Amino acid sequence: MLEKVLELLKNAGVYAWEVTDKKTEGWEFYFIRHALDQNRAKSVEHIHVKVYQRIGEASVGAAEAELHPSATPEEAAQLVENLKAEAGLAPNRIYSLRSPEEAHRAPRDSAAVDVPAIAGDFLAALSALPETETEDINSYEIFVSAVTRRFVNSAGIDVTETYPSSMAEVIVNARNAGEEIELYRMYRSGSCDAAGLRRNLARTMAYGRDRLRAAPTPPLGRADVLLSTDDALAVYRYFVARLDPAMVLRQMSDWKLGVPIAREVRGDAVTLTALRELPNSSRNRAFDREGAPIRDQVMLRAGVPEHYLGGRMFSAYMGLEDSFQPGNLAVSGGSRSAAELRQGKWLEPVEFSDFQVDPMTGDIFGEIRLAYWHDGEKTVPVSGGSVSGNMRELLGDLQLSAETVQYDNWRVPALTRLNGVTVTGIES
Amino acid sequence: MKAPFSPYLLGIKAGLKRLIALLERDYDYVSALATDSVGLALHISRHAKAVEHETMTTERGVVVRVWRDGLYSEFALNAFDPEQPEAAYAQIRGALDAQMALLRATGTKIYETPRLPDEPLTLFVEKETEQLPETTDIGALVAALTAISDRGMGLDSRMIECIAAAQSTHISKLFLSHDRDLSQSYVYSEGTVVAVVAEQGRNQIGYDSVSGLGGPELFAGLGEKLDRAVQTAVELLAAESVEPGEYEIITAPEVSGLIAHEAFGHGVEMDMFVKDRALGRDYIGKRVGSELCSMHEGALCAEEVASYAFDDEGVLAGDVTEIDRGILRTGICDALSALRLGVAPTGNGKRENFEHKVYTRMTNTIFDSGDSTLDEMIASVKRGYLLEGCESGMEDPKHWGIQCIVKLGREIVDGKLTGRVVAPIILTGYVPELLGGISMCSRDRETFGGGGCGKGYKEFVKVSDGGPYLKTKARLG
Repeated sequence: MLEKVLELLKNAGVYAWEVTDKKTEGWEFYFIRHALDQNRAKSVEHIHVKVYQRIGEASVGAAEAELHPSATPEEAAQLVENLKAEAGLAPNRIYSLRSPEEAHRAPRDSAAVDVPAIAGDFLAALSALPETETEDINSYEIFVSAVTRRFVNSAGIDVTETYPSSMAEVIVNARNAGEEIELYRMYRSGSCDAAGLRRNLARTMAYGRDRLRAAPTPPLGRADVLLSTDDALAVYRYFVARLDPAMVLRQMSDWKLGVPIAREVRGDAVTLTALRELPNSSRNRAFDREGAPIRDQVMLRAGVPEHYLGGRMFSAYMGLEDSFQPGNLAVSGGSRSAAELRQGKWLEPVEFSDFQVDPMTGDIFGEIRLAYWHDGEKTVPVSGGSVSGNMRELLGDLQLSAETVQYDNWRVPALTRLNGVTVTGIES
Repeated sequence: MKAPFSPYLLGIKAGLKRLIALLERDYDYVSALATDSVGLALHISRHAKAVEHETMTTERGVVVRVWRDGLYSEFALNAFDPEQPEAAYAQIRGALDAQMALLRATGTKIYETPRLPDEPLTLFVEKETEQLPETTDIGALVAALTAISDRGMGLDSRMIECIAAAQSTHISKLFLSHDRDLSQSYVYSEGTVVAVVAEQGRNQIGYDSVSGLGGPELFAGLGEKLDRAVQTAVELLAAESVEPGEYEIITAPEVSGLIAHEAFGHGVEMDMFVKDRALGRDYIGKRVGSELCSMHEGALCAEEVASYAFDDEGVLAGDVTEIDRGILRTGICDALSALRLGVAPTGNGKRENFEHKVYTRMTNTIFDSGDSTLDEMIASVKRGYLLEGCESGMEDPKHWGIQCIVKLGREIVDGKLTGRVVAPIILTGYVPELLGGISMCSRDRETFGGGGCGKGYKEFVKVSDGGPYLKTKARLG
């Protein structure tokens, strides 16, 4: 069916077109405790077709749809005809697609993916965790896929790559004589990182123990907050969003190239880089969804925007011909060690209900399920209450540890310190 | 008109029956869910216009479920050839046999589950709609949405973007097993207006939506939502921070719905009972809310985006009274969890799409109405807030904690709205205390189906929720 639709598009007489063909072979295993609840497998193909039509001299419209692999040749022809007509209904300022010269600069070896072997690694890793009488695994789900993605467009790009994509969802229980709680974890990666899983789940079980003995979070008013888990990614995703051409052009981000993002920097200025590869990342790709080659690119250097990165349309409007949609990202470490950042008083939330940073407003929220409160002398586990604030106000005093840690497609400082966050306790 | 059932599904039905018969040689239970759902999604804003045909629930594919020796297994594919069911049979056997070899090699234990009963049932349902997404006049709809976006940009000088989005999906699903033959077709639609304002480098967003069972005709009501969305965004620019603490609150219907969803939606999904992941199991028959607190859940209890005729396991849709005047009566249940718990399924077995596993999922989750008016409720508040607009929520069924991010609060002092607005707000609390504090409910109620719901951080499905205005107490931050 893919070749049929490519033939149809080449002869359709349209301004431009793009096709993405994504084939997935996946295995899944679902466990209750360590007993298999269900096993699943899938073999699917998704063909996504996008057609562009000129509307007058200065505009272009686009329409897109999925062509199912089970479609008949007649259905494929009808889909292309429909998209041709519909693309003329929604005019946008004209822009061009990626050219092949750019994409072909970026070869990347695609190794075969052994789904059963990766699945076996997950099964072995999750069946041999350091469980105790009071901390154990409630349930888990394993997803392993081999994905082959081909992108073709009317400008001549035709690139294909194969990659592994894995995910494990793990529910941890911790209990004492009167109470049982759960902690939720989701791990994404290329293949199985057994050592990382074991390390993180051992720490999760320790958090469970501490939550059961946690005191109420005191009403701290303003406090310095340490982020030492993947919740820090919510903070750094705010930076990525503010550097997206779609946000900048629509005035939803006021970050300008060459202009510091904070008037005064008392802590560490952030350096953010898009990376083509990170070890075992689920997002290692040679090209993005629109066929743009992915490369290493500094986006923000020492708190100063250097390069906007994002989708083709808004990038083209801003004249950013070498833009792409980043997959892997890294935030450079700061000037001091994590130990040095643990000076003075701080609150270190390690379990939130759902920690969020709004990319548009910069508002941060999170209900605390477990944090460690350090009053300058001793550290105690606390629970309840919430943290809130706004990134615009916190930007100037971010402190980043020199040590870094990787969470799937992100490498970030192992410790991020946000100074002056509002902490609502539960005793007020 | 009736939403016509998919000709594609009718065309592969005989082939699927042959596939089931082939698999029945090897397995003791076999069923197949085939889907063919088409849609239209229009996204119109000042800077970008898009015509798409993929929504959250568009799909075409087949998932086969088999049972043998106490274990359920599934295989999903979307290149099924009805003329060659033998090829699909070989593909399914090959994959599942390879998985079983790995499971044997790793010494994996099985969580044994009985065979599904597969009681005989035939059903063919085509629900009413005025229009279909596949035949609607896209040009006219683009023009209407463009007019909304353009008008929104002119409503306030601080507007930087106004998005008018419309999605409509025509669902067709076919469930087949040895003794069941179920077909359904229906259309649901959802439209949203989003206003974005900026002032001195600060952005704020206001939004409103329409949703329901029906086709693109529902978008006629979207323009009426624009003024409120813009007003909310503008009010948020001047909003102050709330002083953290416990307050009397009145929740607008959309916030009531969010509480219903997070508090006792997820908390009584009975696949969580199987895993001992929810406190609700221990509270059946016990008080979890005030006398004024009653709540329904089910695909039949509203005409909304999740109002199907049967679920993804071939179980007929239901209408469950979860909470009856403060007493937790029952939860909701998919078919396999029901077998494990020894209860009847409630028609809440849902998949994100044919590629995904079934979980117990919500459909329409709604608080019952009361007999107060909003004015009476406001007049009864000494010091508190009227909470409007939802951002997100997160449950903790094991601990009955709840977190809701609410768009804004309107201050009430001595029974009157003061005009002061606070935002953003985190509502947190302990579910039985939050529901136990309900002291007034308004007479009217609304439902909202503009969003989706995840299980943990994945498995997104369409749901609706809602209720009346509720007065209770909660901690705000």
